[in-house]
Amino acid sequence: MNPKRCAACKYLRRRCPKDCIFAPYFPPNDPAKFACIHRIYGAGNVSKMLQQLPEQTRAEAVESLCFEAKCRVDDPVYGCVGIIHLLQTQIQNAQNELAKTQAEVAVAQTNLSQTQNSDF
Amino acid sequence: MAGPGSSPCASCKLLRRRCAKDCIFAPYFPPDDPHKFAIVHKVFGASNVSKMLQELPVHQRADAVNSLVFEANARVRDPVYGCVGAISYLQNQVSQLQMQLAVAQAEILCIQMQNEPTLQSHHHVLELDQDHKALLLQNNNNNINNCSNNNNNNNNNLGYAMSSGQFNSNFASPSSIMQMQMQMQMQDPLKQESLWT
Repeated sequence: MNPKRCAACKYLRRRCPKDCIFAPYFPPNDPAKFACIHRIYGAGNVSKMLQQLPEQTRAEAVESLCFEAKCRVDDPVYGCVGIIHLLQTQIQNAQNELAKTQAEVAVAQTNLSQTQNSDF
Repeated sequence: MAGPGSSPCASCKLLRRRCAKDCIFAPYFPPDDPHKFAIVHKVFGASNVSKMLQELPVHQRADAVNSLVFEANARVRDPVYGCVGAISYLQNQVSQLQMQLAVAQAEILCIQMQNEPTLQSHHHVLELDQDHKALLLQNNNNNINNCSNNNNNNNNNLGYAMSSGQFNSNFASPSSIMQMQMQMQMQDPLKQESLWT
């Protein structure tokens, strides 16, 4: 066996060809990365997804797939959708706080101009 | 088939197999919505979905299926970034709002300082504050204009954002998003309630 097999081919216990689609993105020194992505998506699905993408976008696609797979492992019910929900809640809270603060600014400005007018 | 008179679930229809009475997919993939299973199968694969569902208690499986469908839809719409693109977009929105909030809070402080009667006797201090205030408001107005320009091009509706693909340009590095994830999970555990109610 080629000692320089990528992590995917090592995990799948197969020969790593020169044009292995996984090799550029799953170096042998990080076996957990492929293991996680394989657990959630399966090697076949990942291979299909990468084949359908232009080469220059595959690295980003692998990183986002790994992130989502890790989220799913950490949270088997909601995965990264839990993060989306959390962010949406934060946005809602921030919008409410901003509206409240901007109202306070308006009141403070009104009070200030009234104070300045009464000084004159 | 599932039983006399009942049609197989969407997954068994797609997989062209007998739909057993205890089919794990049947409660979540009704036959009248074939697209739902098709998209999950395309991204995750039926066997992976089956394994994931088997590892979950029954009362959590509906939520898990819905989140898988959501992720699969996001991945089909955006094959490169999937849900991570949406996360990046929302993270950017949070940052912008927090900046606007900080600006508004600073403005209140400035106004309150101008209102303070004790400062009237320290005229040079008031002038200094006014200079700082002018500089601060100038910078803040620039920031607000930039924020409002950005917000005019964005939409808080996640579905719209996902369909328009506008969040792609704001993709943060995956490592920074992963760090953010860990921080948020520490600050706000939210897993108790269903997302889909």
